Amino acid sequence: MQNRFRQYFQKNRRDFNRWSASALIITLFIGTPPIFIFFKLFAGPGESWGAIAQYLLPKYVQNSLYIAIACSILTILFGVSSAWLSTRYEFPGRKPLEWLLILPLAIPSYITAYAYAGIFDYGGSLTLLLRWFSLSIDKIDVMNIHGLSLVLSVSLYPYVYVACRAFFQHQSQNLIEASQVLGKNETYGFFKLILPIARPAIVGGVILVIMEVLNDYGAAKYYGVNTFTTGIFKSWFGYKEPETAVYLAALLLIIIFSLILIEQGQRRRKRFVVDSKSGRQLERVRPSLGKRWLIFAGVALPVALGFLFPVAQLVYWAVLNYSGIDWVDLNRVVLQSLTIAAVAAGCGVLAALALLVAGHWNRLGWVGKVSKFGILGYAIPGAVIAVGVYMPGLYIDKWLIDVNRQLFSTEIGLFLTGTAIALIYAYVVRFLAVAYNPLSAGKQNVQQALLEASQSLGKGALHTLWKIELPLLRPALLGAFILVFIDVMKELPLTLILKPYDVQTLAIEAYQYASDERIIEAAWPSLMIVLTGVLPVIFLNRLIRRD
Amino acid sequence: MLLTINNLSKHYDRGKVKALDDVSLQLEAGKAYSILGESGSGKTTLARLIAGLESPDRGKIYLNDDLISSESYHLPAEKRSIGFVFQHYALFPHLNVTKNIEYGISNLSNKTAVVNEMLHLVDLEGYGNRYPHELSGGQQQRVALARALAPKPRLILLDEPFSNLDSSLRIDLRTEIFDILQQTGVCSVFITHNAEDAMAIADEVIMLKDGRLLQQASPETLYQNPATPYVAQLLDTLVEMPMALLEQFGYAPTSTNHYFLRSHHFTYNQPSDYSATASVTNTTFMGQYYHTEVTVGDQVVSIHCSEKPTENHLEVGWRESDLLIF
Repeated sequence: MQNRFRQYFQKNRRDFNRWSASALIITLFIGTPPIFIFFKLFAGPGESWGAIAQYLLPKYVQNSLYIAIACSILTILFGVSSAWLSTRYEFPGRKPLEWLLILPLAIPSYITAYAYAGIFDYGGSLTLLLRWFSLSIDKIDVMNIHGLSLVLSVSLYPYVYVACRAFFQHQSQNLIEASQVLGKNETYGFFKLILPIARPAIVGGVILVIMEVLNDYGAAKYYGVNTFTTGIFKSWFGYKEPETAVYLAALLLIIIFSLILIEQGQRRRKRFVVDSKSGRQLERVRPSLGKRWLIFAGVALPVALGFLFPVAQLVYWAVLNYSGIDWVDLNRVVLQSLTIAAVAAGCGVLAALALLVAGHWNRLGWVGKVSKFGILGYAIPGAVIAVGVYMPGLYIDKWLIDVNRQLFSTEIGLFLTGTAIALIYAYVVRFLAVAYNPLSAGKQNVQQALLEASQSLGKGALHTLWKIELPLLRPALLGAFILVFIDVMKELPLTLILKPYDVQTLAIEAYQYASDERIIEAAWPSLMIVLTGVLPVIFLNRLIRRD
Repeated sequence: MLLTINNLSKHYDRGKVKALDDVSLQLEAGKAYSILGESGSGKTTLARLIAGLESPDRGKIYLNDDLISSESYHLPAEKRSIGFVFQHYALFPHLNVTKNIEYGISNLSNKTAVVNEMLHLVDLEGYGNRYPHELSGGQQQRVALARALAPKPRLILLDEPFSNLDSSLRIDLRTEIFDILQQTGVCSVFITHNAEDAMAIADEVIMLKDGRLLQQASPETLYQNPATPYVAQLLDTLVEMPMALLEQFGYAPTSTNHYFLRSHHFTYNQPSDYSATASVTNTTFMGQYYHTEVTVGDQVVSIHCSEKPTENHLEVGWRESDLLIF
């Protein structure tokens, strides 16, 4: 026994190199906020916890659960149908619709929620439109939990669409043919074969949807629905009880980790599926004219609901409010937003690259497994990360102020909390996975063998990074940067908690106008966010096509 | 000795899979070796351990009497000067042939000279500006070889170098690569699952099965005196000769060992040491010969016939010197 322990120790000492150390340091750096929150769970909640647990928590759980389930069902409906129809059939407008289906992701859910509130309100766009046709209705009340679920679904279905699309395109041709040869029609083959085998892909997409749902603050707040995340905000800003907020955050964290475990269980099952290389591209079918237009309608509906209608509403408001805009102020906010997003995206990509390189040159299995935790940040709601960054940051700040006072007898302000450092750090924690995934996908192209070839030719990690990995990863690096950039531009709850007093982002501006019942004025900043989201999506789409 | 390996073991999955189990061997400078084994035999693991791409759980590796791997020490791959030619070549796709070859050369002053020497060696002069995707499979293979040879390694490992090539090209390239390596005089180790390749290119064959070393010997010795029936049947189709069958042929076994014959060592209707009358049950045309199943007594034996047997009965025989006894 002792001998085995000594051998294990010896091997660890042999294989531990500076890359193992780097991997561990990066992971610790990224993992601090959730670890902090987890340990806070044992410190006990604040004073109002008793009341919250008794009166509010059941409602939080119930509402969050309802929205998560409703959104899962609806996004599967929208996402799977549009993915299948657009990969299997030829119909009018198929090509533009294929990427238009992704565009709802360019609009943050809370902005879609504002737009729909405007469409269905008293004197809103719908009533105005119907009046043209001499019809009149009272308002349709969407500002409730059902409306919220619907709005979140039309805004989040692309996660399911994207996940299924790749699967349908590469894995279903053989299945469909096998089914046809056995004398079954296409509908039978789709429901009996393709859908069950696509389940891991669908579940993967739905898990992302649920994470976004649990992350949402802006839409739920605006629609007056109490969820876990609004509860965190209420404890933090309303009751001024960070301890209670942390407690709620920790509970949410446990739910999220259970979801991740389910997802990984699902992934393991994926191994049964034919590998993507052996699958042939799905062949397109050209149905009869009537059916073609029916399919068009089916595919265009989610695009209209998730993108066109909300954008139209925003544009309408923007035109109404054109003269009332303070351009100087808007310019300042745009500039600040872009700068913060660019810096955060740059830091995120660097951190992801460092993790990737350290991962390859580290030779210890357990270090590799531990460092996988570094990319879990994306699963954790922004509000939770914000709380996890703010509280330890505050401790460090207080300590710094004390130390400074004792050593130099001078007063300094807060160094971390309330500055852009904490904000950028939190963005990196939350979006590291967004940067890491395209890079590691790119790295599979680079192939393990190329790095090993460089190594066997006598070159170390940095030389290899510079001469081999960076040149080959360039498109992936650009893609990673753009994805993080968009996500930071859209981010609301984390920014709301951590933003410095004098910094304003477009997302915050839109949120504040909406909360002040000045929804029309929220249109311009909202449209700017949409624009910064749409342009890169189009660009990325081009990039993917060229490959 | 150029390379000495003592009691090398490598486990995966917390010791559940023994990829390599207590392997010891020695390689001499200037010789060509091949590591032969089926997939899962541990041949790739052995090569990766020698190259330093992985580290062993037990055992030691010495290069020129310097320790390079042990339980407590690992010289990184980039410091071993051991060349490696990867199965799918692993040419850097964004660098042209010249840049690929000069990648590993550390002496800056004679870079161009070495590249030219290498291009000449692998017969690819004039291809320096091509990119890997503009080359055929065989050309890529030769660039990969030139790239590995350029830094003048002490030892070169080639992982399944012919597995991506079709059979006509494979024999040409095999001869060509053998000649190139002979010219440089570098000690080379081929990793392969193909017995014919292994015997054609190597001075010595290292046979692995389930992570254990079965035999290290020259191709001739391996063929004539295989250490186990497994080694023998990997090189040729083997027919087991149980006692009852041997007696049918009039041979009286002297021990209780296992006796085998190779299918092509059976003769028919010719004088031989031992023979028996057999009835033909099945004939399959295989191109160079007819694979013929015959029954001797109640035992079925596969033999190779140069012509299709016309009669139902054959006088099948064999020579005592061809008998393999384990």
